[in-house]
Amino acid sequence: MTTAEDDLSLTFAALADPTRRAILTQLADGEATVTQLAEPFALTQQAISKHLKVLERAGLISRTRAAQSRPCRLEPGRFDPAAEWISRHRQMWQDRYDRLDQHLSELQSQQEGGR
Amino acid sequence: MAQQGEFTYRRVHRATRELLFDCLTQPEHLARFWGPAGTTTQSGGITVDLRPGGVFETVMVNDADGSQYTMRAVYVDVQRPERLVWQEPGVEGGMTTTITFTDLGHGRTEVVTHQTNVPVIFATPEARAGFGTSLDRFAAYVSTLAAR
Repeated sequence: MTTAEDDLSLTFAALADPTRRAILTQLADGEATVTQLAEPFALTQQAISKHLKVLERAGLISRTRAAQSRPCRLEPGRFDPAAEWISRHRQMWQDRYDRLDQHLSELQSQQEGGR
Repeated sequence: MAQQGEFTYRRVHRATRELLFDCLTQPEHLARFWGPAGTTTQSGGITVDLRPGGVFETVMVNDADGSQYTMRAVYVDVQRPERLVWQEPGVEGGMTTTITFTDLGHGRTEVVTHQTNVPVIFATPEARAGFGTSLDRFAAYVSTLAAR
């Protein structure tokens, strides 16, 4: 498995959990501390910290060391490889059915030409 | 196990269900469009044994360097002209592709390609356990994050 695929696995694994997706959605509105992130959930700060570690390992968020509260921020660029993989898969099917349409119109014109 | 890593692609074509079904199951048709881009699939490189348990294989040749990739699948359900299902047992989790053909009238047919167990999702046990959402919804979710 290549490094790029490993990164992709980390991204998808990090996104596999609904709590982590909710955290990311919240961070899309701006930086937040662990305390702020724990508020909407019935979870301890310790549990939230665990989720943050997974997100951080996948590179989807970063935490500044400058402030005592160590706020988290989203790293939107890290979502690109996953989104690209999906769009390539979609593109493959789109191209395939585009060519099928072309083939169908050729069949049709052959039929008309034969009459 | 829940269906995971789903992918759906919808398309409306100006042709009958029968013709579309034949295009997707006859080597001389498939060779004209199977691709994917940058590759060629010759009819001689396509094996179709059109019955449940029968083989569906396509040898795709890279136009640039001549390297070959073979898709190896087995038909699971064959119901002309409504439904065609094949599974790729070699892909982890057994990626399954279901194609349904719906008559919209006036010579138009909707073709829906639905795939389950798309392999990228199966890369890790965590992903296997939790990512019960579709790739399309995931893509939409990612784009909403990026748009903020």
